[in-house]
Amino acid sequence: MGDVIMRVENVGVRFGGLWALSGVSFDVERGAVVGLIGPNGSGKTTLMNVLSGVLRPTTGAVYYGGKKIADVPTHEVCRLGIARTFQIVKPFANLTVLENVAVGAMYGRDGAKRTTSRAFAAAYELLERVGMARIADRPASELTTPDRKRLEVAKALALDPEVLLLDEVMAGLNLAEVDEALRLLREINESGVTLIVVEHLMKAIMLISTSIVVLAEGKKIAEGTAAEVTTSQAVVEAYLGSRFADRQARLAEMRREAEQSGRGAS
Amino acid sequence: MRRVGVGGITGSREAFYATLVLMGVLLFVPQLHNGYLENLFRGILMFGAMSLGWNLIGGYAGYVSFGNVVFFGLGAYTAAVLSAHGLHNVLVAVAVAAVVAVIFATVFGIPILRLRGHYFGIATLGLALATMEIISNLDYFGGGTGLTVRQDAFFSLYYYVMWAVCLGSLLATYAIARSKLGYAFVAIRENEDAAAVLGINTTFYKVAAWAISGIMAGAAGAVFAFANGFIDPDTAFSTDNNIFPIVMALLGGAGTVAGPVTGALILTAINETLWSHFPKIHTIFFGAVIVLVVLFLPRGILHLFRARQTARVFLESLRAYRV
Amino acid sequence: MALFLQDLVNGILAGGILAVVALGFSLVWGIMNIINLAHGAFIMLGAYITYQLFTSFHLDPFASIPVSFVLMFAFGYLVQKYVINYVVRAPVLTTFLLTFGLSLLLVNLALVVWTGDARAVTPSYAGANFSIGPVTVPWAKLATLACALAITALMHWWLTHSKMGRAIRATSMDVGAAQLSGVRVAQVYAVVYGLGAGLAGAAGSLISLSFSLNPAMGDPFIIKAFVVCVLGGLGSVEGALVGGLVYGIVESFGSQYIGTGYQDAVALVVLLIVLILRPTGIIGKATA
Repeated sequence: MGDVIMRVENVGVRFGGLWALSGVSFDVERGAVVGLIGPNGSGKTTLMNVLSGVLRPTTGAVYYGGKKIADVPTHEVCRLGIARTFQIVKPFANLTVLENVAVGAMYGRDGAKRTTSRAFAAAYELLERVGMARIADRPASELTTPDRKRLEVAKALALDPEVLLLDEVMAGLNLAEVDEALRLLREINESGVTLIVVEHLMKAIMLISTSIVVLAEGKKIAEGTAAEVTTSQAVVEAYLGSRFADRQARLAEMRREAEQSGRGAS
Repeated sequence: MRRVGVGGITGSREAFYATLVLMGVLLFVPQLHNGYLENLFRGILMFGAMSLGWNLIGGYAGYVSFGNVVFFGLGAYTAAVLSAHGLHNVLVAVAVAAVVAVIFATVFGIPILRLRGHYFGIATLGLALATMEIISNLDYFGGGTGLTVRQDAFFSLYYYVMWAVCLGSLLATYAIARSKLGYAFVAIRENEDAAAVLGINTTFYKVAAWAISGIMAGAAGAVFAFANGFIDPDTAFSTDNNIFPIVMALLGGAGTVAGPVTGALILTAINETLWSHFPKIHTIFFGAVIVLVVLFLPRGILHLFRARQTARVFLESLRAYRV
Repeated sequence: MALFLQDLVNGILAGGILAVVALGFSLVWGIMNIINLAHGAFIMLGAYITYQLFTSFHLDPFASIPVSFVLMFAFGYLVQKYVINYVVRAPVLTTFLLTFGLSLLLVNLALVVWTGDARAVTPSYAGANFSIGPVTVPWAKLATLACALAITALMHWWLTHSKMGRAIRATSMDVGAAQLSGVRVAQVYAVVYGLGAGLAGAAGSLISLSFSLNPAMGDPFIIKAFVVCVLGGLGSVEGALVGGLVYGIVESFGSQYIGTGYQDAVALVVLLIVLILRPTGIIGKATA
């Protein structure tokens, strides 16, 4: 980890009269796993849409490789090195699993150099990597939810990205599937891909992130390591309300006093 | 091992080879020296090319055009105008018609292909009607009366050229279906937004699909103008020429390589049978045929053979879209 | 100036009919997501019903409007129930072709029954005009406009106040929720399609007063109905009315200054301008 590869600067998005995001800024370091969390409606998906170039921010900008992402047409974003998965997974239903991934391999970052057969070969390798090689010839319409999610990831990987944006990729998975997903993500990260992960599953985010950004009502309210973020008053307040946050603070205070007096006693 | 395209987005390989064999057989029709048969099969080849064209934009790319007859008409008028200026060479006419189609598809495609679904369908219909209207109003194109086209002494020339146009369209479709281009089209059809994110320049590929479909229809139109000896707005932009290719593609199997020609053959056979037995009311039956095909064979006849459970497929089709 | 006013008035008179045409089309499209290419054929049938009643029974054309509405409503209801219902959720190609095939059937049936000769409905008051200043207004057309407005108003009232009307509006907003509330969606769809046909029939009757009849007379109206729906918004009565009037006026001025032969071109240009100036990503209620 080290140098900054993506810079989010004062990003704001307005829909009609509502600011879905305002004044969001943070840096993404190469090789990091950035967890993006926040209560429902906090603007996570909107932010993902801005980061992946699908949505143009009303104010501010996202810089990647020296360029503003918003200035790049949608189909060129993958050539910058950014890939994403979608929350609502809709694969190419009438194509096989292999063909689904091959499309990305044909048109993604290295796509122009690849012939169809090389693209299919690359796609097959990717399927082996995510553990779907045995169902390569099955129509995508027949897949189960976890398999669809894995296909989504494989398709994104086919673009040979530097940064992979994952939007709620673990939603709908059971515990065993989540563990498998985490293993896969870690493996991807270790192979050199920077991850930005939006998740509702706290445990997953805590386990995998090197740094966490917390959004609430469109604003960034905390940033830091898992430990820093979970003890932040602002975060607790955002998720559980101010009364709970106050009570937690008082309880922590009481515990500290009890410890001190306990130590004092012995 | 990994099959590249064939069987997936091309449809069955066997059907494609069968179609090639059919094309080989059709090459010998002029040898029969039967004017009626020559006209009939030239018509099949013509509709085959038009249907293959529609199949690219409607079946593969998923943009259901309800106005592709505009390319046919423009192709026909290109030939007629060239002939009126002394150029009676059908091959030159085909080439120029192809260029006209590409220009037209690019100019109108960029705005119109931004629309999706119903909107695109009706916009193309409107485009065809508007073009027909404008041509009918201009004397340069012969207005409502039309233009005559001087025909070559060797009339079967037009059969062979039409055959070449159809074969060319068939082979082009096959090549496209196996190539990256084919996958771009299908990706756009299946999920256009995902396709864009995967690096596909959707505007470019949509226009390309429409332009290629235009070349096929336009070439067919150019040859038709010569074979018919005469062209007027109603003939060039007729509803039959607009709708038949669509129904043929559907009947044979939209989004396959062999489907359109198969559909052209079958539908022409049906049409001819109806016409000879019920000369006055055959169009009524034809309307009924369209309704039945749409209800019972939405994925085409070839799908029926693949499924191998004919009755079940019929019933599935009926139940699939009910409320 | 006189010419301008005359064009304007002509446009408004024509626009009223267009509103009724578009209303039926808009309901079917907005609520069932079906572009009914047979709409033109329904218009034509309504016109021929009026013609037949006038020729055989000397029934005044205006009196035949309710008859034509009821007959076409019943016809549309049955067609939906036994044919269209099978493709309500099908992709665009299927519904386009199916309704087209239906149109082909009906137009050619009409061709057999009434032949292709132009026919006319000619009540005694057909040619009578009156003048307001420099503008001539045919009585028949004014009455037509009045009927069109009445029909539109009635539809609006019915959709807002009747039980079935509310069921229809619920279905248009959210099919699932409507079903959970006890709405029988299949029934609603049949009624809506019937209404579309009935309104088309009524429009046809109105049209027969000003234009000659032939089996293909309804076809040009489909593109126009489409443009009006795009202009005025789907499934809305006010939208159909406003859109219809605007379109009627545009068309009237268009044929004055560009020539009468360019109606479809005008429609297309209006359509493209409206569709392209809207923000990208319009899918409306259509599913690609």
